[in-house]
Amino acid sequence: MRTLALLALFVLAASPSPRADAAPPSYARDVAPLIGKYCLRCHSAVKPRGGVRLDRDRDDDAVRKALRLWEKVGDNLRSGDMPPAGAKKPTPAEMELLDRWLDAVVYKVDCRGERDPGRVTVRRLNRAEYNNTIRDLVGVDFRPARDFPADDVGYGFDNIGDVLSLPPLLMEKYLAAADKIIDEAWKRPELRKRLMPRSPRQGGMLYNLRQFATRAYRRPVGDEEVKRLLRLVRLALEQGDGPEVGAKLAFQAVLVSPHFLFRVERDPPGKVGAISQWELASRLSYFLWSSMPDADLFRLAREGKLREPDVLQEQVKRMLANPKAQALGENFARQWLNLRTLRSFSPDPKRFPGFGAELRQDMLRETQMFFMHIVRQDRSVLDFLDADYTFVNERLARHYGLKDVKGPSFRKVSLQGTPRGGVLTHASVLAVTSNPTRTSPVKRGKWILENILGTPPPPPAPDAGELKEGELKGTLRQQMEQHRKNPSCANCHARMDPLGFGFENFDAVGRWRTHDGKYPIDAAGVLPDGSKFNGPRELRQVLLGKKEQFVRCLAEKLLTYALGRGTERGDRCFIEEIAKNTAKKEHRFTALVLEIVKSDPFQKRRGKGGKK
Amino acid sequence: MSERLSRRTVLHGLGVSLALPLLDAMLPQSVLAAGTVRPPKRLAFLYVPNGVHMPDWRPAKVGSDFDLPATLVPLAPYRDQLLVLTGLTADKARPHGDGPGDHARAMAAYLTGAQPRKTAGANIKAGISADQLAAGKVGKATKFASLEIGCEGGRQAGNCDSGYSCAYSSTLSWRTESSPVAKETNPRLVFERLFAVGGKSSAADFKKAAYKRSLLDFVAEDARGLKRRLGGADQRKLDEYLSGVREIEQRLARVEKASDYKGVPGGYKAPSGLPRDMGEHLRLLGDMMVLAFQADLTRICTFAFANEGSNRPYRNEIGISEGHHDLSHHGRKKDKMAKIQKINRFHIEQLAYILGRLKGVKEGDGTLLDSCMLSYGSGNSDGNRHNHDDLPVLLIGKGGGTIRPGRHLKLPRETPLNNLWLSLLDRMGVKVDRFGDSTGQLTGLEG
Repeated sequence: MRTLALLALFVLAASPSPRADAAPPSYARDVAPLIGKYCLRCHSAVKPRGGVRLDRDRDDDAVRKALRLWEKVGDNLRSGDMPPAGAKKPTPAEMELLDRWLDAVVYKVDCRGERDPGRVTVRRLNRAEYNNTIRDLVGVDFRPARDFPADDVGYGFDNIGDVLSLPPLLMEKYLAAADKIIDEAWKRPELRKRLMPRSPRQGGMLYNLRQFATRAYRRPVGDEEVKRLLRLVRLALEQGDGPEVGAKLAFQAVLVSPHFLFRVERDPPGKVGAISQWELASRLSYFLWSSMPDADLFRLAREGKLREPDVLQEQVKRMLANPKAQALGENFARQWLNLRTLRSFSPDPKRFPGFGAELRQDMLRETQMFFMHIVRQDRSVLDFLDADYTFVNERLARHYGLKDVKGPSFRKVSLQGTPRGGVLTHASVLAVTSNPTRTSPVKRGKWILENILGTPPPPPAPDAGELKEGELKGTLRQQMEQHRKNPSCANCHARMDPLGFGFENFDAVGRWRTHDGKYPIDAAGVLPDGSKFNGPRELRQVLLGKKEQFVRCLAEKLLTYALGRGTERGDRCFIEEIAKNTAKKEHRFTALVLEIVKSDPFQKRRGKGGKK
Repeated sequence: MSERLSRRTVLHGLGVSLALPLLDAMLPQSVLAAGTVRPPKRLAFLYVPNGVHMPDWRPAKVGSDFDLPATLVPLAPYRDQLLVLTGLTADKARPHGDGPGDHARAMAAYLTGAQPRKTAGANIKAGISADQLAAGKVGKATKFASLEIGCEGGRQAGNCDSGYSCAYSSTLSWRTESSPVAKETNPRLVFERLFAVGGKSSAADFKKAAYKRSLLDFVAEDARGLKRRLGGADQRKLDEYLSGVREIEQRLARVEKASDYKGVPGGYKAPSGLPRDMGEHLRLLGDMMVLAFQADLTRICTFAFANEGSNRPYRNEIGISEGHHDLSHHGRKKDKMAKIQKINRFHIEQLAYILGRLKGVKEGDGTLLDSCMLSYGSGNSDGNRHNHDDLPVLLIGKGGGTIRPGRHLKLPRETPLNNLWLSLLDRMGVKVDRFGDSTGQLTGLEG
């Protein structure tokens, strides 16, 4: 909602229209009659279909206030999904007018002038971040957050400030964890030394507390803050306990303090402002490491150098080369590709007897290594779509029908001459998009639309139902084609199903097959835009042909993850730029990360004066 | 005495005042021993996702002569404690212009009676839930204001349901309209939380508790200071933080007074962890609820058998390989409906186990079950249609004699589910005129 109001403030001019001279159509005069003619029979006050009502907004201003709705209307009109099959469709001339109006009013985003970098809600450390931060801060690595309640997911990721809540149960866990962590560190002399570099008995306590709190809060701490901590130490002394008891209490308090548990960013004065150097250091480290900044980042922040382009570039490269960058694979890639659900995927053992916990682990390992290879070798992100290599051990190689791989360790192998290539043919992805008993071309198609092309289909009608296996005849594909005759399902399935069919040669656990039961596999398809393919290799070429769309999709996902907030309308300009600049640098992964890190949404934040 | 003094010194030493309410502990064991007071009432909300197969759920006959359809047969031993309620509606689970997302809405609206705001992340909003309303008003009487448990945690991937944040389809309990309450899934952790040693007032323990208070006081001051500097959505997060701190403070205060802590009822041994078998998982979590009620550690519990839209197969349990949600879109196909019914019945068998445990605990002149108001139901009726009227809802127990079970009560169509919750809240001593979309208390629960 906030975004939309802001839009009204700006004068807009995005994609230059070929008919810039023609007077822009207006809703009241030109569009409303068409909406009335083609849409209102279903989408008005009485029993609105899908809950969508189009009879409320009367003019362009009203439409601008309900852009979320009207964007969907536009999407549906342009995809031909609406009006549905069987209903009367707008004539080409009418559609041309609608198109012009959509561009001028609904899709228009101004990329000139002042831009809104957005404002992220204070982020609580999620479980992975908590574990890693404790590891880097204290040195204990027993993953204390294992027993914390699961972090909720929003926009596909579990690091979204708005979504990360703090229920009382979690507060209890923080308290208990702090106790355990400090106790654990106290038992190990080298770790204790890290917490207490100076002797508390010779006035070193103030120093010890300050250096710990500075690192824990990821910013300089004020004298008053340190003094308050020192009061906890004194308290123990007054109770007749030694300074160590008090020190432990103070360290625990730091680990339960909101300054540690939340990543706090201060609103800049005025409308928009740069975040502080310290905040930038944290944004970088939690983005690429899911952890706190290290000494180098802290030093650069202290020196005020972190924003210098050379420094930033150097730091990104250094951070991506660090082992801690594995977190990007575990947290970003695994969530982007929906692989966290693989843990609960349990295919029918009668049909897939070879599937077990070890193979499941191997599948995850392959994708993790593949992702990290692209990161570390700074490969083109198009490798995600089509690469002639992957990583397997003997068990996974056998699963894939690859020869000459022996032993349990993973290695890079060539896929030349095989039907595989890119994440789409990883067993992990093929499995999470399957049902327990069979493949699901619909789920696979939907997965590609959501995670590769960035054009998620709308959800199905509630009464759409699943395949009625008994009543339909023939192969799964033939059955689905019969099912698709239902006009209310047809349009979306025309987008999803062919994409999924292209991968039908891979069964529900990702093995190659030429037959499904007694039927030979037919992996040919035609997309709504007319592109044709037969089999996974050709489908990958079709997808590579849509590489701009893919890079934009990946940029949006990575930006969401980097910021910890959902992207808004105003972010489109940034995403577009990030994607374009990445393309200029051969689509290298580091280029993508750098573009994100340099972008306004990452470097700046909207202030209180910039209310939307 | 000296310990009491030392606590004061501690707080004084910190230079801050702790406004801890020293609550009047209602310790049931001692109270009951005196034989003057009735046992406290317990309120529980058990939830199953994806609706049920209604033809095998709804009794044909109304009144006390009601029949038990196939799904409810395992409840035969508890027929006299059972009130089958027909006609309840969760209106706010309907789209009302928000399009698809019936699973997310069903769970979020079930105890709140509020329309969940459609958002994948920013500004989630439903309403305060019945259990949390009760916990806020009467939860102070026990160590834990309420208990939230379930077999599935928050979901770990992707979009949960048609543009709704996963918080909606995994949460029954809402502390405020924007604060979903996470549930504990691991029976061992529930046990440890419930029965963490407390109340043994050795000087060392006492000092430790006092330190903990000082620590909480310290961080609460941090949070208040921070909150003053931050904006709207940030402030809500700090509010969550502060209410968590407050809850622990209150618990510490209570533990201090509960000098007659008696340990774990019946010497129940700590569960070992997360069982693979869902039946065992449900029974262990059920045990935890029963133990918590029995020891009067809480009187309010929400228990989600699974998250809404759950697609887990029940292969090991009852030989069903397809996912629950996939099956619930049965398209009126017989074999799929039969499988759904089998899953429904499996859940009811676990419910029967829990009822058996409650009935096995003597309390006052009767059993713990007599003191309970245990509801069991779903925010969807038929999973295939996603309708939110004609919900499957059971109410079990006598509510301390305020409810006359052993009947099938047919309510007027479209009766708000919140009317039932309002009636139960009233019996818990929570006097509110309305909440969510309630229109008034149900009549007829007393018979």
